[in-house]
Amino acid sequence: MNLGYLWGIFVGSLYAMVPITLTGTGEVIGESSGLFNIGLEGIILLGAMTGALGAEAGGPIVGLLIGAGTGLAIGLIFGLVCTYFRGVQLIAGVGINLFAAGLVTFWLIHLGVPGHHAVPEASRMVAISTPLGDFSPMIIVAFVLPVLACILLFRTKLGLKIRAVGENPQAADVAGINIHLLRCLSTAAGASLAGLAGAYISIDWIGSVTKEISAGRGFIALATVVFSGLNPLLVLLGGFIFGFFDNLAVWVSTMPAVQRVIPWQFVSMAPYIVTLLVVAGVIGRVRFPAAMGIPYERE
Amino acid sequence: MSANEAKGLSILKNKSDPEEGKGDIILEGKGICKGFPGVWEHLILDHIDIDVKAGEIHTLLGENGAGKTVIANCLSGFYLLSEGQIYVKGKPVTLKSPRDGIRHGIGMVHQELALVKPFTVAENIALGLPSSDLTFPLPEVEAKVRELSEKYRLYIDPLARVEDLSAGEQQRAEIIKVLYHNPKILILDEPTSLISADAEHLFHALNSMAEMGYGILFITHKIEEALEVGDRVTVLRLGKSMGTRETAQTDKTELVKLMFGEHTPVHLERKPVESNKISLEVKDLEALAPDNEPALQGVSFTIKEGEIVGFAGISGNGQSELAEVITGLRKVTKGQVIIHGKDYTNQSPKAIIGAGVSHIPEKRREMGVIEPMTVAENVVLKDIRVSPFSRGPFLNMSYITGHTKEIVSRFGALVSDLWKSQTRILSGGNIQRLILGRETWRMPKCLVAVYPTQGLDAKAVNHSWELFMRLREAGSSILLVSEDLDEIMALSDRIAVMSRGKIVGMFDGSGAKWEEIGLMIATGAGRT
Repeated sequence: MNLGYLWGIFVGSLYAMVPITLTGTGEVIGESSGLFNIGLEGIILLGAMTGALGAEAGGPIVGLLIGAGTGLAIGLIFGLVCTYFRGVQLIAGVGINLFAAGLVTFWLIHLGVPGHHAVPEASRMVAISTPLGDFSPMIIVAFVLPVLACILLFRTKLGLKIRAVGENPQAADVAGINIHLLRCLSTAAGASLAGLAGAYISIDWIGSVTKEISAGRGFIALATVVFSGLNPLLVLLGGFIFGFFDNLAVWVSTMPAVQRVIPWQFVSMAPYIVTLLVVAGVIGRVRFPAAMGIPYERE
Repeated sequence: MSANEAKGLSILKNKSDPEEGKGDIILEGKGICKGFPGVWEHLILDHIDIDVKAGEIHTLLGENGAGKTVIANCLSGFYLLSEGQIYVKGKPVTLKSPRDGIRHGIGMVHQELALVKPFTVAENIALGLPSSDLTFPLPEVEAKVRELSEKYRLYIDPLARVEDLSAGEQQRAEIIKVLYHNPKILILDEPTSLISADAEHLFHALNSMAEMGYGILFITHKIEEALEVGDRVTVLRLGKSMGTRETAQTDKTELVKLMFGEHTPVHLERKPVESNKISLEVKDLEALAPDNEPALQGVSFTIKEGEIVGFAGISGNGQSELAEVITGLRKVTKGQVIIHGKDYTNQSPKAIIGAGVSHIPEKRREMGVIEPMTVAENVVLKDIRVSPFSRGPFLNMSYITGHTKEIVSRFGALVSDLWKSQTRILSGGNIQRLILGRETWRMPKCLVAVYPTQGLDAKAVNHSWELFMRLREAGSSILLVSEDLDEIMALSDRIAVMSRGKIVGMFDGSGAKWEEIGLMIATGAGRT
């Protein structure tokens, strides 16, 4: 193995880390407030589609914003359903996933190129050149956002309020906090990052939209959130672990020696299994908001 | 302190300058009504008038379930009123949320403390401040907590995590949290229930606050506290106000009468207990409450066949744990439960049901039924293991339907459809009718009945009492836990009074004096 390969895997890991970290960081904010959004997978998928459309209409930055806006809108609907309308969070989340899978598939067929839509090179995000190689600016965003989320959650009063409604909504209510509103906004802000992650996949990293483009990353992000115990910095680490094994698997599966023994499909399972093992190894020691997943009613 | 916050605080300060107008009424509720439709069949608060003056401690006295907490929640904005009007300093106000209450200078210390456990004291306080969301006011909060601690002698470390504090310290934190908003009225809901040992300290603090001009509404179920702490006392019984007295011009006897009612309860006529066979015996029972504090401390008694023993007392004195231990829902740490001569200590609920023990549980919605299941399913919940309710793995639907129909009609439950209505939509009274039916149709050898008639109307109560007397005649032993002294006195052959996990008095049902028992319940003191 030479250094070039290792460097390649490292850079690839950073690219693969971005969507997990963005989505996971958002979900940490949402879950801190007490809402558990299992629909992240669907939001990534929708973000990939609307992001691609936006980028083709107005350039990559517009694409990213539209992807994030899509996430925000879906997150707001999810938040409203789960708070004011007392919906079941699990069902609402599954609903998002089904809706996204249906809509994106329909759109891909409608475009006339069933199953695949490539984003033109002109609409794709431009990488930043450095002496070490070219990097997507979104990698920087993925490092900065968890830090900002940490500051928000642990160093501002807003963060205190978000964590309070997740931990003891009754006490928060007594303190005069609007629980439904704050939960709605937290989960919507979180979902906007999932939408951003989707747009990143389609107009930056992969450069195309397929109906499997999210590839379980929403669920892996949920797993890293569990692993992190709602700490955005650990989500960053979790995202990198997944990204690393994702790339390692691709590299291993292309080695002729391996290909002869193990089908590549099995090797591509590795990052998912490793991530789950990491989560399973850590879970139990982490602490979650006491009121997570429980709708709040005053009387 | 940010400019915004300083402004907010100074406005509050001007509004609530404690020195002005001592003796004036600062908080008043007129004709307050509160009902919870569907859950309770009667009004929880029935046209209550109450007022609090600046510089006084006004005590609200009543049994559990009298509606004390509901009044407090209405006056502080936590509940919306069904009817009535609240006045602050003579001006009508509408409180739609606790924030409204705080804005009008009303601070409430909840019985279940409203603190976020993993947060520090200062973080908990910062939550409720009006300052901008992007600020982080912890340093100022910490300084002001230290200052308030000093001023009111409620010492607390602002950097301590709430979950690491003792109950008394948590309560101090809660009071400081409320005082931080500079209220002029302080409502304390059963503050001594958590800190009975440390109460003196709290009373001193409250007295000095009253002297500073605060109006304090102090809620308790303990008569001594009402007499010791309050300037005036209002007694509440079953959602109705029984009147307000100056503390100096009343005494224990009068307050007991107001709390429990003045009439002489009936003792239902009956033949003497004929059998000498012991149906239920517990020896030297000890068990822990859910918070791992001792709940039962050396409880021993026997109940003969055909005997009703009533357990009176304010709830939370070990009655729930006693019923749970006997029915197998809670492990004992010491002692024995003997049913018909056989040791059933720490046996499974299934074994104890098999021994012929029926159970009317305390929390009907949580423990009595499975709410999302249908009426028929709930009625046969304990019977489906055996024929004819089931044949092999299959339910015998037609038999179950017939059986449920009979129970529903015999107990007068209002149910729309046996197999379609979820039990959750029934009122508490109707659920209780179904549970009574399920637990008594087999004529059990032993019945553990906890608050069996709570929430039922008078007719249904009489019906249940007749049922218990019939069971008694048929030789069932009945352990009755109730907070309703009338019910205890009407039904019991013997009456046990429980306080702090012990039986502090045992009376003969026929000759028992209502005042004597009432006083023992209210004071928790045994006969010496």
